[in-house]
Amino acid sequence: MDLDFISRSFVRLMSALPLTLAVWFLSVVLGALIAAGVTWLRVSGVKPFELFARAYVLVFRGTPLLIQLFIVYYGLASLPAVRASFVWPVLRDAFNCAVLSLALCTAAYQAEIFRGALLAVPPGQVEAARACGMSGLLLFRRAIFPIAMRHALPPYSTEMISMVKATALVSLVTLWDVMSVALKIRNDTLVTYLPLILAGAIYFVVNYAIGAGFLALERRLTPHLRSRPA
Amino acid sequence: MPDLAIFGFGPGGWGLALLEGAAMTLLVSACGLLVGAAIGGLVAWARLSGRRLAGAVGEAYAALFRGLPELLIVYFVYFGTSTLLTETAALIGHEGFIGVPAFAAGALAVGVISGAYQAEVYRAAFLAIARGELEAAVSVGMNRALMARRIILPQVLRFALPGLGNLWQVALKDSSLISVTGLTELMRVSQVGAGSTHRPFAFYLGGAVLYLVMTVITTRIFDVAEARATRGMRRAAA
Amino acid sequence: MPVQTPALTVEKMHKSFGRLEVLRGISLTANDGDVISILGSSGSGKSTFLRCINLLETPDSGVVTVAGETIKMRRRRDGRAEPADRRQVDRIRSELGMVFQSFNLWSHLTVLENLIEAPVHVQKRPRAECVEEAKALLAKVGMSERADYYPSHLSGGQQQRAAIARALAMRPKVMLFDEPTSALDPELVGEVLRVMRALAEEGRTMLVVTHEMAFARDVSTRVMFLHQGLVEAEGPPRELFTGAASERFRQFISKERG
Repeated sequence: MDLDFISRSFVRLMSALPLTLAVWFLSVVLGALIAAGVTWLRVSGVKPFELFARAYVLVFRGTPLLIQLFIVYYGLASLPAVRASFVWPVLRDAFNCAVLSLALCTAAYQAEIFRGALLAVPPGQVEAARACGMSGLLLFRRAIFPIAMRHALPPYSTEMISMVKATALVSLVTLWDVMSVALKIRNDTLVTYLPLILAGAIYFVVNYAIGAGFLALERRLTPHLRSRPA
Repeated sequence: MPDLAIFGFGPGGWGLALLEGAAMTLLVSACGLLVGAAIGGLVAWARLSGRRLAGAVGEAYAALFRGLPELLIVYFVYFGTSTLLTETAALIGHEGFIGVPAFAAGALAVGVISGAYQAEVYRAAFLAIARGELEAAVSVGMNRALMARRIILPQVLRFALPGLGNLWQVALKDSSLISVTGLTELMRVSQVGAGSTHRPFAFYLGGAVLYLVMTVITTRIFDVAEARATRGMRRAAA
Repeated sequence: MPVQTPALTVEKMHKSFGRLEVLRGISLTANDGDVISILGSSGSGKSTFLRCINLLETPDSGVVTVAGETIKMRRRRDGRAEPADRRQVDRIRSELGMVFQSFNLWSHLTVLENLIEAPVHVQKRPRAECVEEAKALLAKVGMSERADYYPSHLSGGQQQRAAIARALAMRPKVMLFDEPTSALDPELVGEVLRVMRALAEEGRTMLVVTHEMAFARDVSTRVMFLHQGLVEAEGPPRELFTGAASERFRQFISKERG
């Protein structure tokens, strides 16, 4: 086990990190948009919308991400109807399939986070805002969202980290992310532990950074939840 | 509409294989959860012990296995234990590669991951027990072992049920990753069926349906158990 | 002498929750400078009445007029009443200042930020002006040193005084107080009542739902006693508290004192 091998492996793994991060970022953002829609349906007060939203969350949280990923990547690609449609150029690409599948999955978890956050907003404070003449978008923007968002930060941080870990699955649909490269190094050199340990270190540092980032954000945004500095 | 005959139970049908895969999934997940319970209990005990080194080790364990991708852990445990076994056997003269059975490696991997989260559930459950009840136990003369067995453990289990129900669902889903070791749990069977019949959409969808059914049924079981167990008790959280 | 437009009038307000009729035809006229205490046992409808005035609850029937402007209502297809013009409701709400029993300060904003929130975002007044005015109001309620505090770091009495300042920051025509001291520890009630008394002496138009008999007797210009959704007795405090008006009211006060 020479230092040269370690550093070469490390460089190879790091070169795959941009792909991992790209999949992560795009799926999280797309997922947030879908989740906003699902949450909106859930709190709409319209029964069929609510049922759809609840079913969506049940299905995407009740089945493994891996099988969801395979349904999108292998399954949809095999359907003649899909191949003939306008979405085919998008779904042909493994990267797009991966982002789409991960986004659909995280959307279910994010929707539950959003829902919990909305429920945590004290109704009295919303009433006070109404009594001042706020309604509609202004009410949401100034009274509901700021409070809900602060409640959502801790579980959202956890979900962001879960999503980084989820990106490792894209190694199973032909994408060259950090996980794939680690396995390739192992296959090529028959060294078992090192590539996996190095890959693990990279994932760990990324997750740590995300966790620390969210913690810092929480600190900045919630002085009202801590005791007053003397 | 896919021809549902492929799911049938006849000679050409995959119905039986899928159900067997589901059974394997339940088995390996349950074993994983039990391994996780043992590890989680240990780590929670370390963190609650008040001893700095034990606490630090416990926290490090939890942080480590919550920060690593589950797939990586599955590979690491599977390849790692096989390599360990092979090298150990080589020391005593055995030639060639020994693979650890996929079931054991899979259950261990799921358990190692679950343990990190179960530790937190047990720790929170223990902290939720009113100090007064422990004082009462001490004052009637219970020794630590008796108190642990009769007062602490039952209450920890009751408070931990909701969190454990959640972690069971997680274990069920994590078990799908064990498919990369070749274990014939549900994911793997779906994969094999999809490849064999060239009907990936049908098989993966069918597999997903089975996972969903398992999730829904076991969630109901946990809900009933939770209701029974917390009859008349105050809730751990508001 | 020219007839002055009343600050607030309510005509024959009715409100039911399901089959329970909580308000059975209540009317009220408040002129500028009136301080009207609304008394009654729980279930008499007094809080509901106040909340119907600024439409936090929707009355089933009745006409509310604020400074000469009548709130337009209409009937939905299922027969229930609703405001006809959302914008008008928002505007009129911004002219009424409400003080809640549970303060309801916005937890993520400092006291000062709480005060300028509605003036800046609802009334669209320039920020600098709102901050100036807010500081003056905080001085008035005795909260100047706590302008940068968060509500969670304040006592109940401090929070309620800040909430009163928040309502004042809207430059309201009428102030509505919904049991402002009921959620306070006894030692903190006094500081809030003192602020309210100062406002009354300034000539503010105030409607106060309260259990504080001394305040009702000594500070209000008029007292309204509600019983089971109707106005059982109404008049200057002198009249009601000397027992001249209503037997039921006499019973009510003796229970409150006891």
